[in-house]
Amino acid sequence: MFTHTPLRLTTLALLAAGSLSYAYAAGFFGLEILAEIATLAILVIALDLVAGFGGMVSLCHGALLGVGAYVFTVAANDAGLTALPAMVLAVVLSSALAFAIGAVCARSTGIYFIMATLAFGQMAYSYVFQSPLFGGDDGLSGAPRPDLTAIGIDLTDSRAFAVYAILLVAFAYLVAARTLRSGLGRSLVGLHHNEKRLRALGLTVWRAKASAFAISGALAALAGCLAAQHTQYVSPGLLSWTVSGEALVVVILGGLGTLTGPIVGAILFVVLKHEISAITPYWHAIVGIILITVVMSRAKGVFGFIESRWDDRGAKTVAKEAEADA
Amino acid sequence: MTADLGFWVLQTLNALQLSMLLFLLSVGLTVIFGLMHFVNLAHGSLYAFGAYVAATLAGTFGYWGGLLVAPLAVAALGAVLYLTLIRSQRRAGPMAQVLITFGLIFVAVDATRLVWGDLPIGIAVPAILDSQIALLGVEYPAYRLFIIALGLCVLAALTLILTRTQIGAMIRAGVDNDQMAACLGINVERMFFLVFVVGCALAGLAGAVAAPVLSVTPDMGLQILIPTLIVIVIGGLGSLKGAVAGSLIFGFVQTFGAVLLPTLSSVLIYALLAAVLVTRPQGLLPAKG
Amino acid sequence: MKSALKAALAGLVTSTAMLSAAWAEDIKVGLLLPYSGVYASLGQDIDDAFALGLETFGADSGATFEVVREDDEVKPPVGLAKTKKLILQDEVDVMVGVVSSGVLGAIRDTVDGAGVPLIVANAGNDEATGEACSPYITRISFSNSQVNRPMGQWLVDQGVKKVFTIAPDYAAGRQMIDAFTAAFTAAGGEVVGQEWPAFQKTQDFGPFLANAKASGADAVYVFFAGGEAISFVKQYDSFGMKAAMPLYGSGFLTSALYVEAQGPAAEGVITALHYVPTLDNPENAAFVEAFKAKTGRIPSEYAVQGYDSARALVEAVKAGATDRTALAAALPKVAFTGPRGELKIDPATNNVVQPIHVYETIAGPGGLTQKVLATLPAEADPVNGCAMPAATN
Repeated sequence: MFTHTPLRLTTLALLAAGSLSYAYAAGFFGLEILAEIATLAILVIALDLVAGFGGMVSLCHGALLGVGAYVFTVAANDAGLTALPAMVLAVVLSSALAFAIGAVCARSTGIYFIMATLAFGQMAYSYVFQSPLFGGDDGLSGAPRPDLTAIGIDLTDSRAFAVYAILLVAFAYLVAARTLRSGLGRSLVGLHHNEKRLRALGLTVWRAKASAFAISGALAALAGCLAAQHTQYVSPGLLSWTVSGEALVVVILGGLGTLTGPIVGAILFVVLKHEISAITPYWHAIVGIILITVVMSRAKGVFGFIESRWDDRGAKTVAKEAEADA
Repeated sequence: MTADLGFWVLQTLNALQLSMLLFLLSVGLTVIFGLMHFVNLAHGSLYAFGAYVAATLAGTFGYWGGLLVAPLAVAALGAVLYLTLIRSQRRAGPMAQVLITFGLIFVAVDATRLVWGDLPIGIAVPAILDSQIALLGVEYPAYRLFIIALGLCVLAALTLILTRTQIGAMIRAGVDNDQMAACLGINVERMFFLVFVVGCALAGLAGAVAAPVLSVTPDMGLQILIPTLIVIVIGGLGSLKGAVAGSLIFGFVQTFGAVLLPTLSSVLIYALLAAVLVTRPQGLLPAKG
Repeated sequence: MKSALKAALAGLVTSTAMLSAAWAEDIKVGLLLPYSGVYASLGQDIDDAFALGLETFGADSGATFEVVREDDEVKPPVGLAKTKKLILQDEVDVMVGVVSSGVLGAIRDTVDGAGVPLIVANAGNDEATGEACSPYITRISFSNSQVNRPMGQWLVDQGVKKVFTIAPDYAAGRQMIDAFTAAFTAAGGEVVGQEWPAFQKTQDFGPFLANAKASGADAVYVFFAGGEAISFVKQYDSFGMKAAMPLYGSGFLTSALYVEAQGPAAEGVITALHYVPTLDNPENAAFVEAFKAKTGRIPSEYAVQGYDSARALVEAVKAGATDRTALAAALPKVAFTGPRGELKIDPATNNVVQPIHVYETIAGPGGLTQKVLATLPAEADPVNGCAMPAATN
């Protein structure tokens, strides 16, 4: 059951305050990093929803992000939609695709599920890569940012855009949290624990899985729109399985199944990447070693670790009190 | 063009050669998975390592020297990996395995760049195979025929070992039910180690064999990974027959698709994969069931 | 009294310092190249030669150059972020670089909008000096069509009537071949078939070679670069096709950067490129020697592009430009004789105008080398949709 413990709420509040103040103080490159972190955080929240809580490890989330980004760009450039309706269209289409993938893969578990999502992700990637409609390897440029001048905000300004990105992260988080507390969310967690039991209780398993996947896909598409609006350029590389792999790495680093962990992980990963690549061109190897170490030590990621230590503290206090009473 | 028999013969040979190369790679990976339930995404990186070792040694020991030593070198690396990482993560679940081997891929790519640089390197086909052989009305490169022959020999050898020897029976028992096999007194741990190391050696052999035909670059491991995974998932995890079936299907669909249906070809193989996953999630010829 | 003296002294010192600062112009250069990933070796060649160029010619300009390097990882979003950093945070006066056309496409609007001059040291896509041209973007390297167009007429002149083309299916591949096809058919030739293997997904070209063989063409014309070029040339040779169907192509196929990896398979392949290290002129001799002394390698076309970028920048500075607007106005006007021959920029597109050299790869005393067969005269690219506005002053 997903709850907002005091620790989680405090961490979220700190993150929100910290990121907003950084947005107001930072120089131009810092604002770029913020937008990059925000995009990654939304994607990883989407992944944590199905992988952390539902046990469905997916390697197609990069493709879902990419589909969102491309639909947004094509809708805004060729179909003449303004930014906000284009975003809605991107989210709807990507969500439908995710529903289909979730439904088709619902029967598979474990490694087979991972392979199946990989297959679909690669299919989308191959299609976008070689389709002349999407500009192929050269990508598409000109994705617009939403026009909020009516309420006095100019998103072409980096600082305003960074704040917009942070707000989108908050929105994504709320959607995910709301989903987890709903009936669907509880079914999802139940499926993770014991699928047969829920099937016996009458749940239409494939529909629950597909619906959860659809919401996750919608969030991934939101990340895609943000990515497209940030760089104002999309390329097929967004759909590659290595993007999905990186999202998986981030959710592990941050803390799987905590929903706050993804945000922490995204900040860590982007900062780490920039710091390390400033020192050496071989930063992939360093990230790889960190990843292996984290997984092997069965640590629950940075935030997961913090949470479990915090809980242990609480347990020790209770134990001490019990001793004192005895 | 399509009426020309020579064209079909040529393409069939190309398809067979690609299938044999993928077979060498996939058979190790699929038996490792079938037996140890361990998915090793870094298998492609082992193949790349084999190619680099062969290319480096070919300068001093000639092509055949490189071909002989590369599988041994990769097997040694595999042994080290097994003892340090893999053994402890065997029961950790698919996500942990995917992540660890993903991390290994990162390390491997940068390590390759560090040692051998970013420029692609080449290795020459050995002189006796550097010609064309007239076969069924076409002139086909002798080296590619060598790849086909090598693949078939390895297939024959593995079939023989798995069906006619005691160790083969033990392996098949382990794939079926490793805990029961352990109860029967089979030293399952030693078997896992042996299978893993041999699987790595085969990957190294595939790399050494492929190096003269394709070029040796730091990301060759990543490029071959997806086709290998597709092969074992379509073919069926854990079985030799599955590896053969998957390799042949992939080889033929890819080769003929590329020339007959060029716009669809890249999507085609993934569509096939998806179809198999939906209808027969365990693959076409899995080891169990 | 003392304080007045101190003040006078301080004033004297300050004004002297200001005067000397006014004399030493410091040009800040943002160098955006791939230092990691698939194209790292190209990036390194361009970097080494650019530094060499600044060392060789920089002193003449009277200015000092400060170079800030950033890695674009061949990824458009990364390239864009680093570009913004170079422009907004480091406040560079000029940008140089960009290997990948994808990255160029991503940063074009930013560079144009911010009014920062960019010297393109590689990326060849035709749009950059076509529909997407900008008064701030000057290309000193090449355009995809420029390198292939001359081969159309040249092949017809050699008596080749029917050609089969093969190139990877992506924007650059298509541009290269389309330019050749247009010129070849206009000169009277016939393209009997075309194959477009999937870009970076095809390692085995056997199926396409089989098709080429069955087509009845006199020759095969291809474009490949990097690892794919190595595989293709070796596989072409392994099928024994060179004897009946000579292999021609764009010079990237047998680039000096990796031709050694192809071995004897590359011998006899005739290609066309804007630079080969064996060009016989005094500037090239000096360049090759200096580059070899500095890096131990023979320079490739990527290196000469870096070298000429440095030269172009120095020429612009010598003409008096020191800030962004002045440099943007001066760069399209540079013209000089370099290792490639006579170079100038076409003001209609801001693309370089240069001779194209047709050469055959042959075995030489120290390995494979290039024998220049013909030097085709410099031609400006067609305007291709470029509407060049005047640079805002």
